[in-house]
Amino acid sequence: MSDFLTASFLSALIFGGILTGMPLLFASIGETISQRSGVLGMGIEGIMLAGAYFGFAITLYSGHFWLGLVSSIGAGMLMALIVVLFCVRLGMDQIVVGIGVLIFGEGVTSVLQRAQFGTTYPRLEELASVKIPGLSSIPVLGSSVFTQPWIVYIGFALVGVLYWILNFTNVGLNIRAAGEKPEALDASGTSVIFTRGMAVLVAGGLAGLGGGYMSIVGAGIFVPFMTKGIGFIAIVIAMLARGKAVWVITGSFLFGISVSLTTSLQLVGVEIAQDLVNMIPFIAVLAALIIFARGNYLPAALCLPYNREAR
Amino acid sequence: MARLIEKQILTGILIGVLAICVVCLSPVTKVEAAKKTFSKVAVIAPEEGNDYGWNQEGVEATKKIAEWLGASIEVADGAGYGDVAPIFRDLASGGAEWIVAWASGYGTVAPQLAQQMGVPVLVIGAFEQGLVPGFSTDIETRAQEGAFLAGSLAAKMSKSKTVGICMSADDENWIKMAGGFAAGAKYAKPDIKILMAQIGQAGYADAAGGKRVTRNLISAGADIIFGMGDGSTFGMIQAVETASGANKVWFIDVIGDKTSLDKKDIYLSSVKWDYTPMFKTVIKEYQEGNYGKQIHYINLKNEGIKLLKTKHIPAAVWSSVQQVRNDVITGKVTVPELSKKKDVQALIK
Repeated sequence: MSDFLTASFLSALIFGGILTGMPLLFASIGETISQRSGVLGMGIEGIMLAGAYFGFAITLYSGHFWLGLVSSIGAGMLMALIVVLFCVRLGMDQIVVGIGVLIFGEGVTSVLQRAQFGTTYPRLEELASVKIPGLSSIPVLGSSVFTQPWIVYIGFALVGVLYWILNFTNVGLNIRAAGEKPEALDASGTSVIFTRGMAVLVAGGLAGLGGGYMSIVGAGIFVPFMTKGIGFIAIVIAMLARGKAVWVITGSFLFGISVSLTTSLQLVGVEIAQDLVNMIPFIAVLAALIIFARGNYLPAALCLPYNREAR
Repeated sequence: MARLIEKQILTGILIGVLAICVVCLSPVTKVEAAKKTFSKVAVIAPEEGNDYGWNQEGVEATKKIAEWLGASIEVADGAGYGDVAPIFRDLASGGAEWIVAWASGYGTVAPQLAQQMGVPVLVIGAFEQGLVPGFSTDIETRAQEGAFLAGSLAAKMSKSKTVGICMSADDENWIKMAGGFAAGAKYAKPDIKILMAQIGQAGYADAAGGKRVTRNLISAGADIIFGMGDGSTFGMIQAVETASGANKVWFIDVIGDKTSLDKKDIYLSSVKWDYTPMFKTVIKEYQEGNYGKQIHYINLKNEGIKLLKTKHIPAAVWSSVQQVRNDVITGKVTVPELSKKKDVQALIK
């Protein structure tokens, strides 16, 4: 086993954890904002796929990674517009509409991929990494955490931004009010529809960015259904973290590192049944969030449409 | 009132969009038409039939058979790994007279449906369970024989004396090939180090997972990656293409031939599978009234399994691999058939 516990191997373990955890982090941050405002983003998986497809396609054709990632955000916001329209504006069932968005995202991206790249399977170049001066020379962590594409650092920064917005700004107060007591927000003169709508759009953009990260940075290619349930994991993380930014990042990277660990355990020859190894990420995230984040709570108006006339 | 009308209109639009999605997702696609023994054949594949791998092999082999029979074909790809009974019934009631159920997971339900609907079926990976005289027959692979050659090739080509096996899923064929590869590598170089890792329980399409696991294998020293996946293979290839290190990293594929997609000259070879000759055999058996009485195998001898020759393989290495091939066919070398992962792990140690 000691043969494998080299700096480069541990670095690959952490690097793999970040590679897997980062799209989950983007999606979880978005889902947290959406849930805090009272809207459950059931269609996040479909939104991520749309972000993944359009991000990949635009990067491939333009040759610019940043343009691809911006397109991912745009595609995610466009998909989220469906939720805004049907759930926020018209008060339709969030779960039903969410499932519709999921199926739509899966179907459209699958058909487009087949038509456009089904015989060529183009792949992208590796996105260049940015070394953080000083920190990048730390053993193991330097080459895994502090030598990453710039989009990873943006992801880390977003957690701080989420914490600040939700806890220290009027916008955050409005979002929380929309999810806790929308009639009070309405009475204060702020539109619940607008607040929830913006929250859902931002959530869609972030989910799209998560999908874009998967196809552009994570895999370098788009294949149908490539999100493999990450969107649903994001919903679980957001629900269990219940608005706490620190638990969002903990849950996301705990999952990512656990997934990466499943490979490491196999390579060092640990003899555990493969089924059990595959369960590690899910058990780790559920256990950590249930044990440590149980004091948090879900918004009172989550999944409840707001109808001004019904006040 | 206006709000109610707006709501009704948008609800209508939503239903319409969903209906379009369902049509888009519908896996049944017409390809061509003609007539002979079976006037219409069909294939059900779990994922898209354009993956240059397992699903494409099944779809393409059925297309060739349809052409050979002069029959029309319906392709139901992207059917998933769950309950395929509704798709099977749709195909049968739509006139399909012979159905290829192209996933080992269909091996239980497909023979039952064949008897219920009176439509003969071909299943994969079901062994005796897939044999129902007159209704259901089964084809298996001796893919480990091809993987043995791939392992032999990898050991001869590796400069780091470390090779890696990346499996997308807990799949019996993958495990058998992993065993064959490991045995072949050790046959060629007994001191070779072999690493093995699996992406997930059913990570066939997990491209990001393929890249992550392959990257870990490379970081642990492997300079030849033997990758077994469907969509996930492209993630493995991406990791090999972008690998940076002292040694060039090569990729050995399975089932299909992705040479045309190899832009970075990393595609060393592939253990190719060709089911077409065996499909013809079972159809002849059906015509003779012997359908479903024995399991068939594709192997090196009947050329259902081959190792792909590419420009990257030096002539001397290819020649020695061909010698190994002859030894396997003549029985001079015995390739182990390991269907349990723990047996493969024991071989690797």
